[in-house]
Amino acid sequence: MTDKASEKSNYKSSSKTGDKTDVQQGTLALMILRTLDSMGALHGYGIARRIEQTSGNLLSLNYGTLYPALLKLEQEGYIASEWGLSTNNRKAKYYKLTRAGRKQLEREAQEWEQTAAIVARFLSPAGERT
Amino acid sequence: MRALRAWFSRFAGLFARQRRDRELADEMESHVQMHIEDNLARGMTPAEARRQALIKLGGVEQTKETYRERRGIPFLETLLQDIRFAFRMLRKSPGFTAVAVLTLALGIGANTTVLSVVSSIILRKPPVRDPDGLLTITSKNPANVFAADRSHVSAADYLDWQEQATDFSGIAAADFDDFTISGEFAPEFVPGARVSANFFQVMEIQPTMGRPFLPGEDQPGKDHAVLLSTQLWKAKFAGDPHVLGQSIKINGNSYTIVGVMPEAFGVWDSPTQIWFPLVFSPDESGPGKRSFRFLRVFARLKPGIRMSEASAQMNTIAVRLAAAHPDTSKNWGASVMTERQYMTSDWNAERALFLLMMAVALVLLVACANVASMLLARNSGRAQEFSIRAVLGAGRLRLARQLLTECLLLSIAGGALGILFAYAGLRMILTQFNWNDTAATIATTIGIDSRVLLLTAAISFFVAIIVGIAPALRLSRRDPGERLKQATRGATAARQHHRLQRLLVVGQLSLSLILLTGAGLFVEDFVAETRAAPGLNPYNMLTASVSLRGLQYYGAPQHQSSFFQNALREIQESAQVESAALTSTLPFDGSDSAHFVVEGHPVSKPAEQPSSGCFVVSPGYFQTLQIPLLQGREFTPSDGPGAAPVVIVDAAFARRYFANQNPVGRHLLINSQQGAGSQWSEIVGVVGDVNEFRGEEKPQPHIFEPFLAHPTGTMSFVVRTRTEPTSFSDSLRHAVWAVDSAQAISDVKTMDRVIADSGQGDNIMAELMGCFALVALLMAATGIYGVLSYLVAQRTHEIGIRMALGAERRNVLALVMRNGGVLISIGVGAGALVSLTLPRAVGAVLSGFGVHQWGPLIAGTTLMVTLVALLACYIPARRAMRVDPMVALRHE
Repeated sequence: MTDKASEKSNYKSSSKTGDKTDVQQGTLALMILRTLDSMGALHGYGIARRIEQTSGNLLSLNYGTLYPALLKLEQEGYIASEWGLSTNNRKAKYYKLTRAGRKQLEREAQEWEQTAAIVARFLSPAGERT
Repeated sequence: MRALRAWFSRFAGLFARQRRDRELADEMESHVQMHIEDNLARGMTPAEARRQALIKLGGVEQTKETYRERRGIPFLETLLQDIRFAFRMLRKSPGFTAVAVLTLALGIGANTTVLSVVSSIILRKPPVRDPDGLLTITSKNPANVFAADRSHVSAADYLDWQEQATDFSGIAAADFDDFTISGEFAPEFVPGARVSANFFQVMEIQPTMGRPFLPGEDQPGKDHAVLLSTQLWKAKFAGDPHVLGQSIKINGNSYTIVGVMPEAFGVWDSPTQIWFPLVFSPDESGPGKRSFRFLRVFARLKPGIRMSEASAQMNTIAVRLAAAHPDTSKNWGASVMTERQYMTSDWNAERALFLLMMAVALVLLVACANVASMLLARNSGRAQEFSIRAVLGAGRLRLARQLLTECLLLSIAGGALGILFAYAGLRMILTQFNWNDTAATIATTIGIDSRVLLLTAAISFFVAIIVGIAPALRLSRRDPGERLKQATRGATAARQHHRLQRLLVVGQLSLSLILLTGAGLFVEDFVAETRAAPGLNPYNMLTASVSLRGLQYYGAPQHQSSFFQNALREIQESAQVESAALTSTLPFDGSDSAHFVVEGHPVSKPAEQPSSGCFVVSPGYFQTLQIPLLQGREFTPSDGPGAAPVVIVDAAFARRYFANQNPVGRHLLINSQQGAGSQWSEIVGVVGDVNEFRGEEKPQPHIFEPFLAHPTGTMSFVVRTRTEPTSFSDSLRHAVWAVDSAQAISDVKTMDRVIADSGQGDNIMAELMGCFALVALLMAATGIYGVLSYLVAQRTHEIGIRMALGAERRNVLALVMRNGGVLISIGVGAGALVSLTLPRAVGAVLSGFGVHQWGPLIAGTTLMVTLVALLACYIPARRAMRVDPMVALRHE
C-alpha cells in the first residue's frame, strides 16, 4: 500500500549538495536504455557510473534506485539480463537492450526531444515566439 | 501489451521468492565490490572505499523493499499472507470453524437447492436452437377471465393465418394429446403430438437419428411416419440403432419410424414421446369447426421483422377473420408472444417457489446473523491480538482486511459444503415430484446447473461481506491503546460493546419465529388436508384407467360399453377382488361438468343454467368405494339404455338445490342444449360428499349418471382387493387385455396414491418449509446460547465478586436469565407481530390456501421459540450459577 510513495521518494536523491540535480522521474529509464544502446551489455554498477559520467557528474544518482528501474524494464521486455563475468573476473548480472527496447528508446527519445523543444520555445526570449 | 507482459512477469515473481531475493543480494554485493575496487584504484583506504561505495548505493534494505514490491504483486502477496494466516486461525479453533462452516453450509445449501429448482422450472428454455426467438401464437378472448390470451387455436384459424401472415418465416401447429401405442410390446398410453410437417423446421431442431418430416408428409395418405423420443426409443426398442424403418401402431394405425428426437426435446414443456403428422379430420377442420380450438401454434419471425410488427399483422388478420366468421370468432383475437413468455404461466407452483425462496433467504439471514455474532464474540476474545498488531503499526484497513479474509474462507468452505448439501437435498425432493407425468418429467430436468453454481458463489461472497462487515467495522472504530488497557484489566466489558450481538440475537429469534409460523401454516394446511375424511374408504383400493382407441370403438358406444363390462367381469372373477366398479373420473381427480335444469326452476337462457361436476359410474360404484348412500338407491344393471333415465346426486348438490326437501323422486334435465332428445331424469339416490382434490375447501355439488345408459370410451376401474392392492396390478392388466389386448392401461395406482397425488406436491412444500424453519430455529437457539455463554464467560470475574459479596446462586441465575429474557421477549415479540400478518399474506399469494386455526398456530410457534430460547439461556445461566468465587477471582 505504501509502494507508490516509496518508489517516488527513491528516485529522488538524498543529496543535499544543491548544485547537483535529482534524476527526474521517468527519465531514469530513458537514460538506462540509452546507456545500454551505446555501451552494449553492461552490469548495474557500470550503468550507474556511465550515467553519472555522461551527465558530466551533474546528476546525483542514488545507485540503489537503479535496480527497481532495471527490474521494471526487464519485466516490460525492453532489456534482458544474464549473469556473466566482469573485467575483473567478478560475477555480475549483465543487462542488454532487446529489439523492443531499441524501439522504445527511439520512441522515448523522440518524445523527449519534442517536449524539450516545446519547453525551450517557452523559455526563449519573447521576440522569437512570433 | 507491454503492461500485460509486465503483469505476467510480476505474477511469476510471486513464486521462488527466496531464489530471487538471493539473486538480488548477489547482484548488489557484486555492485558494491566493483565500486570498492574502483575506489581502491583511486587511492582510497579500504575502509573509506567501502564507506563511499555504500553511501553511493543508498539504503540497501530500502532498495530491496522497492525491488520486491516491483517484482511481485503486493496486493496479491498480502492476500496470500492473509489467507495463510486465516487458515492458521481457523485451524486453531476447530470447534468455532466447524459450527460456522456448518451454519453457513445449511444456509447456502438451502438456497442452492431452491434456486436449482427455480432455475430448472421457471428459467427453463425450450431445448431448440435460438430458444428466445421461438414464438407462440394463441387465440385470445377477453371474455376468458382465466388466461385470456392463452387459448388454443382452431384448425381453420391456423390454416388462414398460415396463408395470410407474411411476417413469419414459418408457422407450425401441434396437437398435444395422449395416444395408445402398441407393437412388439404391451400397449401403452403415452403423451404425444400430431405436428405439421414444418414443425421441426420452425422449432429449429434436428433428430439425433433419422430425419424430420418431409414437406407434404402431413397430407392424408402420406402421413404414416413417426418420430420417437429418445426415452421411448430406449424403453421400447432398447436403443436399437436399426429402429428406423420399423413400425409401431398409434391408436391402432401403423406408422413407420423415421427418426429419434433428442432427449431434452421429449421432456420440454409437456412430456412428449411421439410426434407424427397432423392431418385434420373433418371433425377438426370441417365447416363450423372454427370454434374447436385445440392447436398450439409456433412461429419464427422473418429476419428484420420486429415482434411488434408481426403482432400488429396478426391483429389485423384476426379482426378480419372475426368479421368474416361472426358465429364462431366474434371477439376472438390473436396474440403473439415468445414461447418463454407462454411457458411462464401463473401456476401456483411458481408462487410456491417464490415463498420457498423467501424462506431460504430468511434461513440464510439467520445463518449470517448467527455466524456474525459468533465472530463478534470470538473477536472480542482476540481483542488483545488485534490491539498488539495495531500498536505494532497494522492499519485499520489492514486488520479489517484480515478479518474479511477469514470470513471469506469460512463462507467459501460453507458454500462448498452447501453445494454438497444441495445435491443431497435435491435428490430427496425430486423423488417426491411424482404426482403426475409432467411433474415426474420436470423432475428429470432439475439439477444444479452452472447458473446456480455461479449464483451460489455470489451468495457465498456476499455472505462473507455481510458476516464480516460488523466485526470489521467494530474493530476499526476503536482505539487500540484503549482496548489493550481494557483487555488486561479483566473488568466487565462496556455495555455498548455487546449491543450489536444482542441485536443479532433479537433478529435471529424474530426471523426464526416468522419462518416457523410460515412453515406452520403449510404444515397445518397439509395435515388438515390429510386428516380430512375423504368421504370414501381408500384402504385396499386399486385404480386404473383405459382410454379406448381403435376404429371398432370410434362412435360406437355399445362396443365401448361391452368392452368395459367384460373387463369388469374379468376383474370381478378374481378371488383377490372383493368388488369392482367403473367411473368416468376418479374421486380426487377433478371431474367433468354438466349443465342442468332443476325441475320447477325453469331458466330462460341456456347460459344461465347452473352446472356441476358430473360422473358416469357403473352399478356398485358407491358400494365399492364405500361412499355412504344417504337416501334412495344405487344404480343397478337395469339402469341401462331404454330404461327410465335416472341420476344420483351427492349431499352438497341436495343441500344447494333442494334446501330442505328430499330430492329423491325429483327430476333434473341434464345437458339439455346438447341433444334435443334430452329427457328429465329422476333422482333415485343421494350419496355422501367426496372431494375433487385434496384440500378442497367446501365440497362441490356433483351429479352421477349410470354408465350403462351413458357409456364413454374413457373409464377408470376402481377395485377393492382382499389383499395388498398393488399385488393385483398385473392381474388387473391381464384381465383387461383378455378382453382386448390392443388397449393401453394407464395410471395403475392405489386410491391412497390418487389422493396423495391430488395434493400436487403440497407435501413437499410442508416438508421443505418445516425443515427450513427447524434449521432456522436451531440456529437461533445456538445463537442465543453462544451469546449468553460468551457474556457469562466475560462476566465470570464479576459474578465471582458478586458471589463473594454474598449473592446467592439463584440471584446469579436470575441475573443471566434476565439478560436472556429481555432479548427473548423483544425478539419473540417482534416476530409474533410480523407472524400475525402471515396467514393473509400467504393466502394472497397462493390461491386455495386456507388456514382457519392460525391463532393457536401462532401461539404455538411463539411458545415453541420462547421455550427453545429459554433452554438455550438456561445452560449458560446454570454454568454462571456454579461459578466458584475463589476460582473466578483467581482467574486474573
